[in-house]
Amino acid sequence: MALAVMLLDGASFHSACCRHKVLLSSLGPLLSNSKLYSSYRRPGAEPEKKLSWQNADFSLKKSIDHLKTHLSLLKKETQDYLKGPGGNPLSQHLLEQTRVLWQFRSQEDLNKWVISSDVEIGGKSKVYIKLGRNNQAAVLYGTLNTEVPRDGETKYSGYCSMKSRPEVGSFNRKKYYDWSNFNSLYLRVRGDGRPWMVNIYTDPYFSHQKDDLYSYFMFTRGGPYWEEITIPFSKFFLSSRGRVQDNQHPVWLDKVRTLGFTIGDKVDGPFQLEIDFIGLLNDRAHKEKFAYEVYDKNTPV
Amino acid sequence: MNPQANLIFIASLLLGTTITISSNHWITAWMGLEINTLAILPLISKSHHPRAIEAATKYFLTQAAASTLVLFSSMTNAWCTGQWDITQLTHPTSCLILTSAVAMKLGLVPFHFWFPEVLQGSPLTTGLLLSTIMKLPPITLLYMTSPSLNPTLLTTLAIFSTALGGWMGLNQTQVRKILAFSSISHLGWMAIIIIYNPKLTLLNFYLYTMMTAAVFLTLNTIKVLKLSTLMTTWTKIPSLNAMLLLTLLSLAGLPPLTGFLPKWLIIQELTKQDMAPAAMLISLLSLLSLFFYLRLAYCTAITLPPHTTNHMKQWRTNKPTNITIAMLITMSIMLLPISPMIFAAI
Repeated sequence: MALAVMLLDGASFHSACCRHKVLLSSLGPLLSNSKLYSSYRRPGAEPEKKLSWQNADFSLKKSIDHLKTHLSLLKKETQDYLKGPGGNPLSQHLLEQTRVLWQFRSQEDLNKWVISSDVEIGGKSKVYIKLGRNNQAAVLYGTLNTEVPRDGETKYSGYCSMKSRPEVGSFNRKKYYDWSNFNSLYLRVRGDGRPWMVNIYTDPYFSHQKDDLYSYFMFTRGGPYWEEITIPFSKFFLSSRGRVQDNQHPVWLDKVRTLGFTIGDKVDGPFQLEIDFIGLLNDRAHKEKFAYEVYDKNTPV
Repeated sequence: MNPQANLIFIASLLLGTTITISSNHWITAWMGLEINTLAILPLISKSHHPRAIEAATKYFLTQAAASTLVLFSSMTNAWCTGQWDITQLTHPTSCLILTSAVAMKLGLVPFHFWFPEVLQGSPLTTGLLLSTIMKLPPITLLYMTSPSLNPTLLTTLAIFSTALGGWMGLNQTQVRKILAFSSISHLGWMAIIIIYNPKLTLLNFYLYTMMTAAVFLTLNTIKVLKLSTLMTTWTKIPSLNAMLLLTLLSLAGLPPLTGFLPKWLIIQELTKQDMAPAAMLISLLSLLSLFFYLRLAYCTAITLPPHTTNHMKQWRTNKPTNITIAMLITMSIMLLPISPMIFAAI
């Protein structure tokens, strides 16, 4: 009986001691300044010196300015709403057959796009964007390098891309494009013969769909002449995280978030793409609804 | 879709609706609501398009939350009063929770955000089921508990529903979203009168179901999903097009057509109950929804050549119109003269 009490006391003392050690080891990640989930940093990512909560700015003047900006954006949105769908009168919505979405004439237009490359996973491609001669076009140029970063888990590398910034409305709400009136994408480009991929990103309400992308190819000629490329929306195929899906669906154009161009044709070397404008076209002659098979392909025999 | 699966889903929908509307106990009512929710999910996500899956997910989340609230309100009432009978829901907190649960089920403001997106993501026939059959069980629950519900809350929900259904439908170009907002504003009319004369709510619901079914089935026949497609339907079936115009005006509540009957009776009842300002407000707010019905009617029937349209002209079909559509359209245009018979029947 006394032995049992001693054993129990010993056990509780020991567990208290162990608990202290366990507590310390679990507090370890909290006490050190690294991220709680992983301390592995991809080669291209910059080391974080400042923690995210230290970036908060509590100045009153800045917040009032912020509020004023957003209220004026809200006022503009309400006025556009009163005019008609998309801020234009209904007659324009019903009758329009072409629309220019992005035109590259100034630095502001360039700021609406984001460029990225495989540097973010540790690759060595370079990509730059600038305005072309006489401010008539955007020039996306750089060098593609397919050398794989040596981090033990990456197998492929060598891509550069340009994506439009997603539109943000008042109070940082998401805005979508409504392209349902049109059936083709119309691009005036001057490439260098390399094939590009055009990607459309639609609204992912739930996070399961955040990797869904509708893509198609844009083959450019290298010549000194400008090309007008029409890509019908019925040709875009669905892929998720880069893998083309078995169940294909046509892209729904009533909630489009961003448009992007990617080059990743596995060829090392320089590339250049000049884009004059990107627009939409309602091609009356194009009758195809969807280019890929929609019937059930794996029916059991 | 696999015919056996389709049979099971349709039968489950009918079963769930019947269980709820014929139940006396809260548990069976809740059971029917859950059967309905589960049965319609495959119908919404039939095409497996990412947007259809998104619509099904949104529908499931909101309806499951609303069913939970229904169960919670009935349990609170049972705890406080010992009653599980649906008509004996007397505890004020339970009534409040039930009102918000049913508002979520129906799509009354401020719980309406799921409705346009779900309707946009589902095919037209499933949209019809969502707007008509899926609304019957919650309205039945409101009908049975109407004596104990809070009038102020219901009037507020109703006026906001009519207002928001009108305002938000103004700029839509997708026809399914327009019909969702029309549904929200009709639900406002149904909710405002339920305390004073619940039979008028049911009358409004039946007539709304008939007119909406006519519109949805017509749109399904002419395969229209957008406003610009609506403009070339006169090439397909001209007579159906003209009837669609009249049905849309009936849905808007214009006088010689059937849709005027519920609005007239509701305004009359509200005035008798000393709620003339509410009646005035709700009628003025339904002018907003009249605007988008007129816009639909304009695009359907008044844009004829030499107006250019944005959509490809379609082939005229030789398929005769379904008799169901013909009957529904006839009833939704011509029932006003026999309104005394309707009064006697309700």
